[in-house]
Amino acid sequence: MPTDPILVLGSDCDAVQRLTRRLEAEFEALPELAAPETFEQWRAKTAAGEKRGRILIAPWNERPQRGELMTLDSPEWRARFEVPFLLWNFALGAAARRVADDGAVVGLIQSAAALDAPGWTPEFAVADGALSLVRSIAASEGTRGVRANLVSTPIGLVTSDVILPRPPLALFPGELEEEVAGCVRLLLSQDAKGLTGRLLSPDGGRSL
Amino acid sequence: MSAAQNEDTSPHTAPHSGAKTIVITGATGGVGRGIAIACGQAGWRVWIAARREKEGLEVAREVDSAGGSGRFVACDAGDEAAVADAIRRILKEDGRLDDVVHNATSGLSPVPVDFAEVSLADLQNHLDVALRAAFALAKESHAALAASCGSFLILTSEAGFEGKAKLSPYAGVKGAQRGFARALAREWGGQGIRVNALAPLAATPAMERAMEMDPELAKRVLGRNPMARLGDSVMDIGMAARFLLSDDSRYVTGHTLMVDGGSCPAV
Repeated sequence: MPTDPILVLGSDCDAVQRLTRRLEAEFEALPELAAPETFEQWRAKTAAGEKRGRILIAPWNERPQRGELMTLDSPEWRARFEVPFLLWNFALGAAARRVADDGAVVGLIQSAAALDAPGWTPEFAVADGALSLVRSIAASEGTRGVRANLVSTPIGLVTSDVILPRPPLALFPGELEEEVAGCVRLLLSQDAKGLTGRLLSPDGGRSL
Repeated sequence: MSAAQNEDTSPHTAPHSGAKTIVITGATGGVGRGIAIACGQAGWRVWIAARREKEGLEVAREVDSAGGSGRFVACDAGDEAAVADAIRRILKEDGRLDDVVHNATSGLSPVPVDFAEVSLADLQNHLDVALRAAFALAKESHAALAASCGSFLILTSEAGFEGKAKLSPYAGVKGAQRGFARALAREWGGQGIRVNALAPLAATPAMERAMEMDPELAKRVLGRNPMARLGDSVMDIGMAARFLLSDDSRYVTGHTLMVDGGSCPAV
């Protein structure tokens, strides 16, 4: 059973730093979104690092820009979908190689519930794609005991002011250091040793 | 709300009259060809948007033989400008477009790769064909689809639900297509445009070749399939796609329809 500190491969921003502290984790920065040409090199270097039992992938956008698809031009599509999705591919690839036998990988993604989808089509595409990637790792690495799961949160994308009906729990959209950290901790723990390829959405029931 | 109040009077839900005009990307074979022929059987005008002209013209002739009207337009789905040009040509020639089917997929789709070793260039190719083409098709066809209360259909895969151990780039983009369709359905619903996805399991030439090369593949694919067979590209997949394009599904949007004989356990 892995007992080493959680390793966070995340965006170098305040939100991820707060989450890292809450999880008493160690932090390594993901490459800058502005430089996708560096992603392969970053993956090779990161994958070659010391094996770790628990890895959290946490790309984070502190200033997401809402906008319906028909208002986007090609560069905006690339910035909101292609580059973030490429980063997920490379980050999960590094994690798949670096995670120790019987270890666990969790991805943390910003995504809204279906009711709140308008304006977030690129982000929805990234989120559903990331879930398929996580399930691909669950399939490929499961033979050596590795689990892979995804946590989705609407934090940063939506506020509590949403179209009706309201989510069952008043805590919507949740807090990174509370509900999100709790789900991450659970999925990286032995309490979740039978869970792999799953999506947890600690959003107060918004994505029922 | 009374039944009378709920009567369909919206200009966004007017039924189509006469034959539809639709476009299908990557329809020179396999599932795309099956959809084209099924739509031809309904008497629709079907544009085959693909790179290979000879094969595309052959499918167009099959659409004619099925009772529709087949046309070919050159289109490399991995080239955003070519996708836009193809839609413009269809609109210039026909003056309308009722449905868009994005079926094309990267030639790298069936190529096994280690998750940690896939290259940036190969991933970009997957993204270009699967998602940037979907984006370009949506942008270029939006006004026409709004005018016709049309629909937008994306061919995804069971891989987009459950992932694939050795085909992670393919699984990733197929999952992303589902998210694209789910969200766009909510953006376009108020304009009367429906957006859906379809995940087929079909007896295509590519699948048959793969099974010949790897007999274990046939066991894996069919062993979990309660109907114990692959789908026919026209009668099984094509008809289901035609349903999603037709007015019979006019209140269906944001869905991924699994047309896989009950194969995918992730649903």
